[in-house]
Amino acid sequence: MSDTLESLPVGGEAEISEIRTDCDRAGRMSSLGFIPGRRVRITRVAPLGDPISVRIDGQEISLRRAEARIIGIRNPKP
Amino acid sequence: MTSGTGLERNRRPGSSALRPLVALVGNPNTGKSTVFNRLTGLRQHIANYPGVTVEKKSGTLRSGGVELDLLDLPGCYSLTAISKDERVVMDVLSGQRGLRRPDLLVFVVDATNLKRNLLLVSQCAELEIPAVIALNQGDAARRNGVHINAPLLLKRLGIPVVETVATRGRGLDALKHAITAALESPTLLPRIVWPDCITRACAMIGAGLSGQGRGDVRQAEALRALFDSNGIFASEVADKTSLKKLIDSAHNEIRSTGLNPGSAEAVLHYRHIESLLDGVVEASGPIARTHEGIDGLLLHRVWGTVIFLGVMYIVFQSLYSWAAPLMDLIDSASGAVQDMIRPWLAGMPVLESLICDGIISGVGGVLIFLPQILILFFFIALLEDTGYMARAAFLVDKLFSWCGLNGRSFVPLLSSYACAIPGVMAARTLADPKARLTTILMAPFMSCSARLPVYILLIGTFIEPLYGPIAAGCTLFAMHFVGLAMALPLAWVLNKFFLKIKPQPFILEMPSYRIPTLRNIFQRMWERGREFVLRAGTVILAFSVIIWALLYFPRDPAVEVATTQAFLNQMATGQPLEEVQAALGNPDSALSAALSNRIDAAYIGQSFLGRFGKAVQPVFEPAGFDWKITVGVLSSFPAREVIIATMGIIYNLGSNVDEGSEDLRSVLQNEKWQSGPRAGQPVYTLPVVLGIMVFFALCMQCGATVAVIARELNWRWAAFSFFGMTALAWLSAVLIHQIGSRL
Repeated sequence: MSDTLESLPVGGEAEISEIRTDCDRAGRMSSLGFIPGRRVRITRVAPLGDPISVRIDGQEISLRRAEARIIGIRNPKP
Repeated sequence: MTSGTGLERNRRPGSSALRPLVALVGNPNTGKSTVFNRLTGLRQHIANYPGVTVEKKSGTLRSGGVELDLLDLPGCYSLTAISKDERVVMDVLSGQRGLRRPDLLVFVVDATNLKRNLLLVSQCAELEIPAVIALNQGDAARRNGVHINAPLLLKRLGIPVVETVATRGRGLDALKHAITAALESPTLLPRIVWPDCITRACAMIGAGLSGQGRGDVRQAEALRALFDSNGIFASEVADKTSLKKLIDSAHNEIRSTGLNPGSAEAVLHYRHIESLLDGVVEASGPIARTHEGIDGLLLHRVWGTVIFLGVMYIVFQSLYSWAAPLMDLIDSASGAVQDMIRPWLAGMPVLESLICDGIISGVGGVLIFLPQILILFFFIALLEDTGYMARAAFLVDKLFSWCGLNGRSFVPLLSSYACAIPGVMAARTLADPKARLTTILMAPFMSCSARLPVYILLIGTFIEPLYGPIAAGCTLFAMHFVGLAMALPLAWVLNKFFLKIKPQPFILEMPSYRIPTLRNIFQRMWERGREFVLRAGTVILAFSVIIWALLYFPRDPAVEVATTQAFLNQMATGQPLEEVQAALGNPDSALSAALSNRIDAAYIGQSFLGRFGKAVQPVFEPAGFDWKITVGVLSSFPAREVIIATMGIIYNLGSNVDEGSEDLRSVLQNEKWQSGPRAGQPVYTLPVVLGIMVFFALCMQCGATVAVIARELNWRWAAFSFFGMTALAWLSAVLIHQIGSRL
């Protein structure tokens, strides 16, 4: 299994490789712009460790680690 | 020319049902509501969509002598109908459930994030409804270094594009013109060209469904069924198993080309949009985001938390303390009106009591919530319009996520510490229906300010004299956490085992920071206040009249005669009867007041509610409550704060006592059981006192909250909440008494 968005450290950047589910959540994530090929960067983590905030395609989006785990990444740059 | 003839018909004056219907569609945070408010002014109507608690905002738009119906659809990111809001959007756009299909769509599009905003637009193109685009917040986009070539966008999309800055009212006249012009000569959006695998999948679904006698299936419907397997379209097909099989094989068709059926729709639309936007959006240099620096501070581990606590402290303080003078004002105004009216009704005691004690105090009891509702919605509008609300939710989400709530639950729950009514209403800021439902059910557990007098009375009477001020302070502090400590695990249980609603991912867009406009904030306050008074207020008023009647009737005059006689007999043992009668002849004498208090107490004991209290006292026996406490508890079901006044009446002190009253305190300390196994022993032992306080902490003794929950959810949930909390309160009081008296 390759890496997921959840494993990326703060400041780390990577390219989305796949959405690892085809349920509702995939639809929701992809409509917000989480689609394969786009670059995503972790901007910060909430004070209690969850959720995380990411920058994707010029927008800032917060998501829980549970959702970050369904996003597969490649070519990470810490 | 069908739409043309439709328009002719629609223009007939005075027939509002036939006026053209224009719907505003867009993502959340695009300024859609501001556009709506600016276009309709105060000519708005708020209701619910049939069968769901999603707000339906409609209004009238006047432009060049034409009147149109304007509908503000809930903000959504895509047509994938997961949440109730999104279902409503889909229902309206496809004209389902008896809803009227709009004649024109106005897409409110955020220029700072054009690509994502166009996803919804591109999806809606399939529905083939004429459309206009309002390109909003172009000023903010320019500040971020993004330039949008609007004429080129217009050319690519083939529909009118109007640049607006809704918060400043710019471009709205042009938008009005574009709307009326588009109704005259409608234009459609270009539709995406689907790859073969999707067309084949749609054809499979179409063929399969029309084989089931569903008639012709339009491409738009087949697409929704394909990408939206839990959506409305799927829910209307009778044969679920064969539909699922059909969709599964259609999904396999998509999978075979290497696409993920869950995300294929967005992926393909974004490709289409990127080609449409080629050359339209130009970023001059690196995109400068004004909010990065502010986020660095507001979301900082330490400073962000400190600022969050400070902001929430201000919100809470203003609800808790700043609303108080206004509430006192409403209270004394209601008293003044009663005093003004009483003399006119002097000859008719029933009518006097109905109007003064039933209706006027009931109206006062509705209006008394207004200051807190208005103040809370002032802050909510401020926090949302500035963009801080999403940040606050990000900071505290973890505190709530384990029990099925989310970061957005914080403000509703915090404000419920002042009063559950605005708290329940504030739960509308939660988009996830499951989290919203849970937040609403937990809100009444928060220790609202109406519980405070009970705590102060009982702690001041029993804890402080016996255990000292430190123990008293700790008890008071602990009482404020009893509800919370009970509510969060309950929420967890409820979510884990009972609620069959699918949880939604908590994904939040962090909107750009903006300077809010007072106009928007006041409009929000006005909407909420009006809605509360008109919708919940009427039910609350009805409750208070019913409770008044239960405490007033049957009002047998024999009660007064017998009480007076008993009083005279008792008084005459110590002094000459003539003196007593002379004193009673003077209505201002202490003796007259004492007699009148006795009569009030006798009437309350004889009232329907009093009789009921005596009858159900055995139910409260295991908690150690005597009939007086039971009647006090029962009479405070409509509003818990009346317990003090009721106690005053029951203990012959009249209703003008407060939680600091020395008379009431000493009566309570000396109250003994009159009969039964505990005859002669004090009624208020420590377990009983703690039991009463915990009962008040957990019980839903607030008719207004029940009415608001019924309004925000439905009567079934309101009843569930009422009976559930009452049972829990009873059980806790019994446990405390049973365990406490054996220690």
